[in-house]
Amino acid sequence: MLDCGMHMGFNDDRRFPDFSYITQNGRLTDFLDCVIISHFHLDHCGALPYFSEMVGYDGPIYMTHPTQAICPILLEDYRKIAVDKKGEANFFTSQMIKDCMKKVVAVHLHQTVQVDDELEIKAYYAGHVLGAAMFQIKVGSESVVYTGDYNMTPDRHLGAAWIDRCRPNLLITESTYATTIRDSKRCRERDFLKKVHETVERGGKVLIPVFALGRAQELCILLETFWERMNLKVPIYFSTGLTEKANHYYKLFITWTNQKIRKTFVQRNMFEFKHIKAFDRAFADNPGPMVVFATPGMLHAGQSLQIFRKWAGNEKNMVIMPGYCVQGTVGHKILSGQRKLEMEGRQVLEVKMQVEYMSFSAHADAKGIMQLVGQAEPENVLLVHGEAKKMEFLRQKIEQEFRVSCYMPANGETVTLPTSPNIPVGISLGLLKREMAQGLLPETKKPRLLHGTLIMKDSNLRLVSSEQALKELGLAEHQLRFTCRVHLQDTRKEQETALRVYSHLKSTSLMAR
Amino acid sequence: MDPECSRLLPALCAALADPRQPLADDTCLEKLLDWFKTVTEAESSLLLLQENPALVELLSHVLKSQDMSSRVLSFSLRLAGTFAAQEDCFLYLQQGELLLGLFGEGGPQCWAAWSVPTVRSGWIQGLRSLAQHPCALHFLADSGAVDTIFSLQGDPSLFVASAASQLLVHTLALSMQAGATGCSGLWDGVWPACAQKIMGHLEESLQSTAAPQVTQALNVLTSTFGRCHSPWTETLWGQLCPLVARLLERTPIPAAHSLVDLLLSVARSPALSSSHGRLWEAVAQALRCLSPMQAGSLALGMLKLPHCPQALRVQAFGVLLQPLACVVKATAQAPGPPGCSMWPPGWLDGAEGSSLTVDTLLSSKSACVGILCQTLAQLEELQPLPQRPAPWPQEPLLGAAVTILRLCHGSATSSSSGGGRLCATLAGCVRVQRAALDFLGTLSQETRSQELEKEVFAVLSEYLGSPDSSPTVLKKAFQTTLRWLLSSPRTPGCPDLGPQPLLFLRELFPVLQKRLCSPSWEVRDSVLEFLTQLSRHWGGQADFRRALLASEVPTLTQQLLQDPESYVRASAVAAAGQLSSRGLQAAPDSPEHPQAQQGLLGELLCILSTDSEGFPRRAVVQVFTEWLRDGHADVARDTEWFIATVLQVVSQDLDWEVRVQGLELAQVFLVQRLGQPRCPYMVALPEAASATPIPEVLQSLCRLRLFDFAFRALLDCDRPVAQKACELLLFLKDKTAMCGGLQEAGDIPGSASGQVTLQRWRAGEQGQLPGDLQPEAMLALLRSTDLEGLQARLAQSSDHMEKSPQSLLQDMLATVGVLGENEADCY
Repeated sequence: MLDCGMHMGFNDDRRFPDFSYITQNGRLTDFLDCVIISHFHLDHCGALPYFSEMVGYDGPIYMTHPTQAICPILLEDYRKIAVDKKGEANFFTSQMIKDCMKKVVAVHLHQTVQVDDELEIKAYYAGHVLGAAMFQIKVGSESVVYTGDYNMTPDRHLGAAWIDRCRPNLLITESTYATTIRDSKRCRERDFLKKVHETVERGGKVLIPVFALGRAQELCILLETFWERMNLKVPIYFSTGLTEKANHYYKLFITWTNQKIRKTFVQRNMFEFKHIKAFDRAFADNPGPMVVFATPGMLHAGQSLQIFRKWAGNEKNMVIMPGYCVQGTVGHKILSGQRKLEMEGRQVLEVKMQVEYMSFSAHADAKGIMQLVGQAEPENVLLVHGEAKKMEFLRQKIEQEFRVSCYMPANGETVTLPTSPNIPVGISLGLLKREMAQGLLPETKKPRLLHGTLIMKDSNLRLVSSEQALKELGLAEHQLRFTCRVHLQDTRKEQETALRVYSHLKSTSLMAR
Repeated sequence: MDPECSRLLPALCAALADPRQPLADDTCLEKLLDWFKTVTEAESSLLLLQENPALVELLSHVLKSQDMSSRVLSFSLRLAGTFAAQEDCFLYLQQGELLLGLFGEGGPQCWAAWSVPTVRSGWIQGLRSLAQHPCALHFLADSGAVDTIFSLQGDPSLFVASAASQLLVHTLALSMQAGATGCSGLWDGVWPACAQKIMGHLEESLQSTAAPQVTQALNVLTSTFGRCHSPWTETLWGQLCPLVARLLERTPIPAAHSLVDLLLSVARSPALSSSHGRLWEAVAQALRCLSPMQAGSLALGMLKLPHCPQALRVQAFGVLLQPLACVVKATAQAPGPPGCSMWPPGWLDGAEGSSLTVDTLLSSKSACVGILCQTLAQLEELQPLPQRPAPWPQEPLLGAAVTILRLCHGSATSSSSGGGRLCATLAGCVRVQRAALDFLGTLSQETRSQELEKEVFAVLSEYLGSPDSSPTVLKKAFQTTLRWLLSSPRTPGCPDLGPQPLLFLRELFPVLQKRLCSPSWEVRDSVLEFLTQLSRHWGGQADFRRALLASEVPTLTQQLLQDPESYVRASAVAAAGQLSSRGLQAAPDSPEHPQAQQGLLGELLCILSTDSEGFPRRAVVQVFTEWLRDGHADVARDTEWFIATVLQVVSQDLDWEVRVQGLELAQVFLVQRLGQPRCPYMVALPEAASATPIPEVLQSLCRLRLFDFAFRALLDCDRPVAQKACELLLFLKDKTAMCGGLQEAGDIPGSASGQVTLQRWRAGEQGQLPGDLQPEAMLALLRSTDLEGLQARLAQSSDHMEKSPQSLLQDMLATVGVLGENEADCY
């Protein structure tokens, strides 16, 4: 099973996949050889503890080392939000997250991992977020590559995705930005910095709601560098614990970051921030400008919502939403332009502060997807994780450019691919010797016709001479003789005619041999 | 419907009907449907449509304009079905020919949008909703919908195909229900037209040579027998049983999984008691001819039935035992391992599948691993059931489990060719190891001979000590070990461990010592969890204490409080706390060492105030709460200082769960001082003699700043903290209700500013209570705060605003037109 994510937009059963489609009566472990998680985002791993500890999957789970380290933090974060805000009791617990993580087998990049006798997997660098990987899954001579989410252009802390020319039978690729050629990330970054700078310059406060780990760190590097360059003194705060945590993981997995960070790491660690300080609840009431990173990212509970309520009424302030917000959350409401929000107890909160949306998500755009298809040279492509209309455009483009079949099944739809698997067949020495005796030397690259009997024994196929086949199978040889009567009208003598017929038949039978 | 929602509906319907207006979020339409379902459950759909004509306009518009987005089309089909579930509304929509247009042959089925699975799914779900009354049944038959449902059973979309099958089951049941006559509701023997059509289709499918068609028919029947228990199902089975039996004669047997499911579903049906004869014949045949993997599930299902005939039970149990018997037989040495040749007489006699099982076991590694894991899991499931076969072959099963574990571990050898192949196949196989350890754990619940117990502990020792054991296997080995230790027979009247476990434990500690230094955090964590359990159960026993203290386990445990992995630190906190409770903590190596001087309490306080991760901090507060409950010496020495220090640190913690646990600790303290909370149903008893006089307690609460901590928590932005604080203060209010202090709140110094703070808090602002309040002021504040009202508000969960239908409609309307770049940027 590739990834085991959740939908944050639902609060009921619909948030997790319906695993009963795998089996209704049997044990899940009997139906799945392993689960592979591409990266730590919740839409890719959020259902994992539910799947392994509540539904009952008990087999191996594969992910990279950074994903194994960071996954539980995000799962914990989400669990706490679900239990805190929604007051849900029937949700996975901390212990379940830990027990689930104990079932994880961590893999290194480019390491071939043998899942069982038949199945092997291999991880490739995917960019996107720390530890994100694409996986090649191989059974015999057939293989599939699953990209997860990936990014073909390097960003401030991560490198670009890369895969070798592995020519899989199928490439399953995400297609979030299937029709978009993204404007340069530099432009978006400049825009972000400009907006933050302008706000603090006029004495306003900037709130950036974020999730614990991931994009927040990228934005921190961005602000830190800018503050340094501009020699700004306005304080930047981050919920305590998160910067240390991020620092810890980025240090631990420095090999997963981009070349620049790796090179400069010895002189100066990019994740040791000079300007970004730990936040205390009381700071929110301080006068003057400031920038605050606070969790959670959708403004639906906790600290970020509390600060938002304090600052919303002042038009000098600004909130920058760097990610997706689920319907019903304050984040969703303000992004859709609502300015009067009904809060608990029928209070109405008037939002006068500026609301900005900034996309920093690191997915491959259409150009990047085409680039990856070109790199891997698959026989077929399957598009997932995108919108049907956009996928359709990309599908046509891939089919035209690479002359391969491209599919875009809806959720739950089955696609059947024709493949021509190679089946190894052993040839008996006797048969080969006989062929050699006929004076034909073997040539490796030239196909050659070989006559023999194909025997299947213990799931192995062998080509042997018919005599050997009879011997091995303990069968007696049977000869079939066909006779027929032919009337010949020949004026020659009977004996002469017979001799001619005989020599003719002899020559044709020799030819046949 | 709420008037505000009614006001918003026309605009929303107009937006939905406009194909140029994209919708932000798929979830919105789902939530909208959920809301309509709730509304129609409570009030008349007809009235709803009449009062909100925009809804019918939307449905009509969908019919007219075929360029509607597939999401809105699917939504409209489902919405129409929801309304038409009520008969009068169905007729109303029928009059306008809306239903025929939406669900009839000329409807969406002919549109280009039909190629989108969401639309087909919406069509089925719409029909499923409306199929609630006889009119709907006629509609289904006359509109040609049933034929479309038949074809959708083979849909490439898993969701559509499954929903189509479920709809057939529902239609069949509804049709038979409608055909029932008389006040008894009994079926009169004539199949209604719709049911006849479905029956015909099922019969045809069962005779088909195409496996998918057979599977579809079997799945429909499985659901039918699973859900419908009316008398007509018996006739249905009577009619279809020969066809099902004929499937078993085919080679290979088609759709074996589904066939097993059907047989089990029929066997479980309470409506089929009198026609079980033919069923048992079919089951017996299936057990004979299905592959061991498929027969296993059927066998287990049969053994779970309370009314399964004995002969069939014997056959079924034989199927389950067969793979283990084969393993034991293939690896048996002379003399064999204990118990291996003691299978109960009769169980394996008629096992025709024996050679088939051997073939499967030896054919390939994956087949061997698959069947062994399945068998072990099935026997594990069967063992605790009251209807399990008797006598339960405990000893041979134990022998088999031990043999399998040894084969996997490489410590069993076999001279036979089959045994040799098994050794090679199973060596190092993690899946089988885990399944066998789970099974072995289950077997601990039974009586056993000393000799076998010795064997079990020996094999567990091998696993716990082996450097080859994977972390997941090791975790299972610990769990199994604990189960065996807990169930070990003890000398009557003596709580001590038996000789066997004791011997085992002595050898265990050096192993644990080694494992605590493992480079794998999973292993270190599992050992610490195991150690906590061990000391919880046997911490008071002399032999256990001696063995533990002779090892370096306590020292290593304390060292792991500094582990780089936070999970391990948390487990080390729990283990060290438990050991300390039992007086089993590490002896200080050098008294000059600062850590030794500081003691465990100091070290835990340090973790609580400095650890960057929440797990260890939470574990510390849990340990402290346990220590307080148990009267731990370090706590009892100066309880007030202890409480004040912990609460001060906890109140600053950013993790709300730590703060909640801090409140829990405070509550334990209060209960110790003031006595248990009053139960409203309990006869009033005089307060426990140990409870301290209330004024004295209040003084100490002020000194400890416990009031301050609890009132601050009431202002917490995280709901569970406020909830817990509310609970604690209510307890306090209840306990102090009879206490003096008759002054009005406003007259007491400090109380007024406290009130102001609370008012500010009510207005959604943050505030702080004055630092040095006196007990009387606190008491007045407690009495004047509407804690009951607050508790009720907090219990509502704070997301009622998000979930309200107005909020949903407003959000959907607000999104119209403003969608830009935002939509695609998910993570």
